[in-house]
Amino acid sequence: MRTALVLSLAALLPGQALAANQVALNNSVFVERVSTDASGKQRVLLEEPKVVVPGDRLVFVLNYRNAGAQPADKFVITNPMPSAVRFADAGDTQSLVSVDGGKQWGLLSELTVAMADGTRRAAQPADVTHVRWAFQKPIPVGGTGKLMFRGVVK
Amino acid sequence: MMKAPVGGAKHHRLLPSCSFIGLLASLALPAQAQVSPPPATRAGTTISNTATATFDAGGGPQTVDSNRVELLVDELLDVTVASNNPTDVPTTPGATGQVLSFRVTNSGNGPENFVLSTIANAGGDNYDPAVTQIYIDANGDNAFDPNVDTLYTPGTGDPLLQPETAITVFVVATTPGAVVDGNRGIVSLVAAAKTGIGTPGSSFAGQGEGGGDAVVGSTGADADDDGAFIVSAAAVTLVKSAAVTNALGTTDPIPGATITYTIVATVVGSGSVSGLAITDNIPANTIYTPASITLGGTALSDAADADAGDYNGTRINVALGTVAGGQTRTVTFRTIIQ
Repeated sequence: MRTALVLSLAALLPGQALAANQVALNNSVFVERVSTDASGKQRVLLEEPKVVVPGDRLVFVLNYRNAGAQPADKFVITNPMPSAVRFADAGDTQSLVSVDGGKQWGLLSELTVAMADGTRRAAQPADVTHVRWAFQKPIPVGGTGKLMFRGVVK
Repeated sequence: MMKAPVGGAKHHRLLPSCSFIGLLASLALPAQAQVSPPPATRAGTTISNTATATFDAGGGPQTVDSNRVELLVDELLDVTVASNNPTDVPTTPGATGQVLSFRVTNSGNGPENFVLSTIANAGGDNYDPAVTQIYIDANGDNAFDPNVDTLYTPGTGDPLLQPETAITVFVVATTPGAVVDGNRGIVSLVAAAKTGIGTPGSSFAGQGEGGGDAVVGSTGADADDDGAFIVSAAAVTLVKSAAVTNALGTTDPIPGATITYTIVATVVGSGSVSGLAITDNIPANTIYTPASITLGGTALSDAADADAGDYNGTRINVALGTVAGGQTRTVTFRTIIQ
């Protein structure tokens, strides 16, 4: 009953301490500002979020690292959207999303939202409640990666 | 449903240390419309984000939470002003208590006081209305009532507006006496965030709701809109003529001849005159011919009664009431030379 043993150990130990030996997940946020230079070229700058107001575009960045001694299989990262942030996109990170509080998952283009009249409409970025990345292959020992998604302060 | 596998390419151990900026720059910035559905997140709100990883390292499912990042939403200073008068408000020369109505909306995300002022001499019109007071609609009926609404006092009375709420503001003005029909006078109401105004993006550290900064929004934290008065005046001209007939068939004013007086009242201008009456004394040495008053060709009685005309022994009088610009009224009466 190795599984049971590990679970009971996990219950006894602070979760963070155990986690530190396995997978580290670091979360940071930036404000994305677009400036146009004299030649009309647009530059996208990421700034520390010192001042944040409604309408600002936020970039949430998740860095993960398998610091454990074993590959991490069935690796899934889930990020509930903060209530004051409207999902925009997840770049090219091929995220799954949920528009119903995490019950169902899929590509945004596959999901629908129930309307008051009983019909369903295609889901929009603003409907997203959770973002998720589900990895096909185990994260090897020492493997790292970076995920991101954008949102707009409501 | 779990749609695996995706995202598997990102965890190569040999992922070069590409700069984060570079990574993001390579992502196409989606050209999304800047949607801003109300209500905006209230200033002082904390945005908190935590991600969770689940995996199996051979010992069964495990869960790891990320660190939590927190952002304080700062206060956006924005305001809009809109005239409530769909068309120019009619006024008359010298009139006092002339009212323009405006809507002032706090389009920011925090409670804010707004300083109100007016500009009446910006040009683009024919005259400068003399603004005497600014009132704030106290009972929400959008109708000006000086006994109910609040007289605005700058400084102490700058109205506090919650985000996404609006008030009606009345600007009271006097129309100069020298204006003429058709003159237009513009008054602009200005509302400015008391915390401060400036170019969009400039900020006031620590002055925002909830302890954050106050940031000037796209409106510059001040806004104005024009309302206008239009002078709607009318002038009356009277033209009196006389025609003589006598028993000889000539037009000589001999005793016994009849004089028919015709008085034409012409009203000009875009306004109207009210209470207009034509009164004419019977000339000496003539005798009024009873029941000879006509208005527009219709006979009027001499008694002071329901019809518009009367004769009181010394003069005729015809009450015309309100006559709009562009109209004429013709009154006639007869006398006999003694």
